[in-house]
Amino acid sequence: MSESPQMFKPHFHEEARPLAYYLAKMNGYTALKKALPMPPEAIIEEMKKSNMRGRGGAGFPTGVKWGFIPKQSAKPKYLVCNADESEPGTFKDRDIMRYTPHLLIEGMVIGAHAIGAHAGYIYIRGEYTREAKLLNQAIEEAYANGYLGKNIQGSGFDFDLTVHRGAGAYICGEETALLNSLEGKRGEPRVKPPFPAQSGAFAGPTIVNNVETLAAVPMIINNGGEWFAKLGKLEKSGGTRLISVSGHVKNPGVYELPAGSVTIRELIYNVCGGVFGDKKLKAVIPGGSSAPVLTADEIDVIYDIEPLMKVGSMMGSAALMVVSEDYCVVKLLKRITKFYAHESCGQCTPCREGCKWMEDILHRIEDGHGREQDITLLLDIADNINGKTLCALGDAAAGPVSSFVKKFRADFEAHIRGGKCPNA
Amino acid sequence: MSKLLSQQFYDEMKKLEPRYPTKVALLLPALHEAQKQFGWLPGEVMDEIGTYIGIHPAQVREVASFYTMYNLKPVGKYHLKICTNVACCLRGAEELVEHCEKKFGVKCGETTTDKRFTLMEEECLGACGTAPAMMLNDDYHENLTAAKLDQILASLPS
Amino acid sequence: MPKCIIDGREVEFTPGQNLIEVAKSAGIEIPLFCYHPGLSVVAQCRMCAVEIEKFPKLQTACSTAAQDGMVVKTQSEKVKQNQKSVMEFLLINHPLDCPICDKSGECDLQDQSYGYGDAYMRTSEERRTYVDLDMGPVIQKNMNRCIHCTRCIRFGAEVAGIREMVAIQRGNNTEITTVDGRPLETDYAGNYADICPTGSLTLKDFRFKKRAWFLKKTPTICEGCSRGCSMEVQAEANVIYRCIARENKEVNQHWICDEGRFNYHYVQESDRVIEPALLRQGALGLSAWKDSVLHSRQTLSGKKVAVLIGSDLTQEEAKLIQQFAAEKLGGAPVFHFGTPGISSSAQDDAADALLKRKSKTANLHGLEKLGIAGFSSLPSGTQAVLVVRGGRAVLPQLAGVSVVGVGVFKKAEASAFEAVLPGVAFAEKDGTVVNFMGMEQRFKRAILPPRECKTLSEILMMWTNL
Repeated sequence: MSESPQMFKPHFHEEARPLAYYLAKMNGYTALKKALPMPPEAIIEEMKKSNMRGRGGAGFPTGVKWGFIPKQSAKPKYLVCNADESEPGTFKDRDIMRYTPHLLIEGMVIGAHAIGAHAGYIYIRGEYTREAKLLNQAIEEAYANGYLGKNIQGSGFDFDLTVHRGAGAYICGEETALLNSLEGKRGEPRVKPPFPAQSGAFAGPTIVNNVETLAAVPMIINNGGEWFAKLGKLEKSGGTRLISVSGHVKNPGVYELPAGSVTIRELIYNVCGGVFGDKKLKAVIPGGSSAPVLTADEIDVIYDIEPLMKVGSMMGSAALMVVSEDYCVVKLLKRITKFYAHESCGQCTPCREGCKWMEDILHRIEDGHGREQDITLLLDIADNINGKTLCALGDAAAGPVSSFVKKFRADFEAHIRGGKCPNA
Repeated sequence: MSKLLSQQFYDEMKKLEPRYPTKVALLLPALHEAQKQFGWLPGEVMDEIGTYIGIHPAQVREVASFYTMYNLKPVGKYHLKICTNVACCLRGAEELVEHCEKKFGVKCGETTTDKRFTLMEEECLGACGTAPAMMLNDDYHENLTAAKLDQILASLPS
Repeated sequence: MPKCIIDGREVEFTPGQNLIEVAKSAGIEIPLFCYHPGLSVVAQCRMCAVEIEKFPKLQTACSTAAQDGMVVKTQSEKVKQNQKSVMEFLLINHPLDCPICDKSGECDLQDQSYGYGDAYMRTSEERRTYVDLDMGPVIQKNMNRCIHCTRCIRFGAEVAGIREMVAIQRGNNTEITTVDGRPLETDYAGNYADICPTGSLTLKDFRFKKRAWFLKKTPTICEGCSRGCSMEVQAEANVIYRCIARENKEVNQHWICDEGRFNYHYVQESDRVIEPALLRQGALGLSAWKDSVLHSRQTLSGKKVAVLIGSDLTQEEAKLIQQFAAEKLGGAPVFHFGTPGISSSAQDDAADALLKRKSKTANLHGLEKLGIAGFSSLPSGTQAVLVVRGGRAVLPQLAGVSVVGVGVFKKAEASAFEAVLPGVAFAEKDGTVVNFMGMEQRFKRAILPPRECKTLSEILMMWTNL
């Protein structure tokens, strides 16, 4: 795997941050100079060819998304970078922002040119205080050197970029909630339609893309869409992917691998050095905490979007969490459910009421006060939330409950029948 | 009514204003900036922000209370937020919380009587590869152990 | 016109109409909580989810525009299951205080629980509770009953134009509130209670006064200003307990102002003159009808008389007076009065951005149509004045003349009158008024007048025939 190209990872260190490094070692802003004279449609076409699929979690083809933006618009258009990185288990975008901020900036200017936006925002989670500062420094450098602002590189194209800090709300990773938050409102998801491409930030046509997605744009423009598509090992997924690995592995961290090039087993045992303390593997959460859990028997699946969908889970933001046998799965599910109950915005009924209800029931089971019927009840509540809420947070809360209870039913029953955690 | 928010606050807002097509969009930055000054968001300060932006004070409250980073109550000089989400729990965050509760003699969500420390459980900080992690005021501390935490706390200026 | 199919029936619709409205036009009711035709669509309660062919998931009817050929099912198993589940979720934390809740009997949550919910509950968890802060004199809040539909928030922001009612916190702890218990500022606060689908926001004025199912409901027109909003009077045993807004797309949409809503109180105040009276030894005292009428007649007889009528009278009443003045009072001039500073329709502008008009009576425009002039001062030499008033018009200062009052007066107002012949208030009569748009609006009597009060035609008949 050492021969596989890595676009990000070799530059994930402090020295890579300044503009000078970016220009000298990373072909900095050459893609921008190439893209500015290109007609927007040509850039979008290149993106379509690249098979770049949104790295935030939904995996929607980026070129197709950009194509949804109307050419003519009475209202200003916006390009917004989703740097909320809030799905538990995900920490890859942080590295891009703190080590290679100019990749993101360059990608955004090219994206803005492609969709005809003259203002852009990086919506960064509030906790990333340092990363916001570093981004702002990089943005200042870019302004000072004519990569942002008026008449960029003499092209006549103007683009202003602003870092907007969130303030502690997982839901703001949902793009319409993010837009509300950007507008100074509560981060509550909006009813769709209209979709952001028609009416997004400040009611203007808007594209919202993940950090990694935008940061890959310069390489796609420099090397061509086809080159990028070929990096991926599966037909529909282009490029390399930044994978966040955490939990009970020997070497947690951010890894960069060609899309679809490894199974989960290879990822854990070959790439990350195996399970922490050489314990037995109990479970894997493959795509951020909202992804349905996989058991130790299910890890021979290729780590990419479609293969994971086929086994009933999802890749999400490519955040793999590994759980060894000595951590109680009931406790783990309670913690996950507590998170979604805490982060539910509270707008829609099933999520507001159901997430807390599931948390209460799980709390009871973990405490040893569970009842036999609680297992069916949990599955029922999860079903009543799944697919019935206004945004995807409901599904994110229901998926783990359904999958944990179904796949580790014996653990739940043992808690209920024994009146306590069998391992306690 | 004399102003509570500093000149620095108003200068910062002036700088940001041309960045947004609406003034309401300044609300989150304004709340951050005000909290920098006061450490939390007293009601009168939120009222002043409402007046500055031109929105009803209730609108300031509804937004401020939605986001967990805005302190609607005073917090200690050192605000510890220990992540107890999945990855951090798998790596021992619960023990860290217990350690701090014992050390400070307070429960999560409380402030020590000398107003020096506020202890809180935090949701995922996005530092799962270096778990367990915490925020101490604005700064991240990662790969924590009880010993490392003690060291950090011992090095804090009084 | 495009058509869609709802529950197997072909239904025509106007493009842009949502499925709730389209279904309603065909007599198919889709249960809902957060949707309100006068407010923006938020699709939050999820109660109105329906099955649409080619959509894998249920779709909320409120946020789905009907499309030509769309096939919709509102009664399928999937739909029913969702309704049952939404009801279950909403009731996890709802208190079982229907027996003492003012909303009981007219509560959407109660009705839909009955219609779509399950017979039992699977929850044993402690219910969520809140400490309620005050909201001022109009609205009583009971947050425990709230189902977070946000109609109130949207009403404030979108209709009343003030974001004073907000949601604070989030998720399961979301609370609807004003800032720290500050009173509501809008003059339209009563609507918060009208649109609340539960007993979370109720009228303090109505609190614990009467069970909803005892109320007799009569559609009427508000007499509070020259807009003439559609309103409903709710009464029992001839006592008005409440007025609520009635939908009228052309006039007031779904709303009324607090002034109009609570205006009814004067009808049953204890200081209303409800028996005939006449001036004896400098004080107004009760008398028999016959004596009061004779005294009134005598007061005007042989004098130079002017007639002042309130612009709170109906067209029918005004015409009677015109005829009466011409035939029985020697052609005495007739003027109208009502709102200080507003004596003609030209001065009757909008008083705010929503509904209120400057003329604080219902029929300024109607009286003008009948050729009656606004009162400014009495013609010189006037010795006696006949004042006819519905109850709301503000009496002008009348010095140095003898006054006979016909209609509805407070005791203090009439203390210097020669006589009072008690009439009927707006809610106690039938009639027609003309609003500022020139719309003639007819309304019906909601309650009977107090025993001794008579309609204007009865009084004038007595006057003429006695």
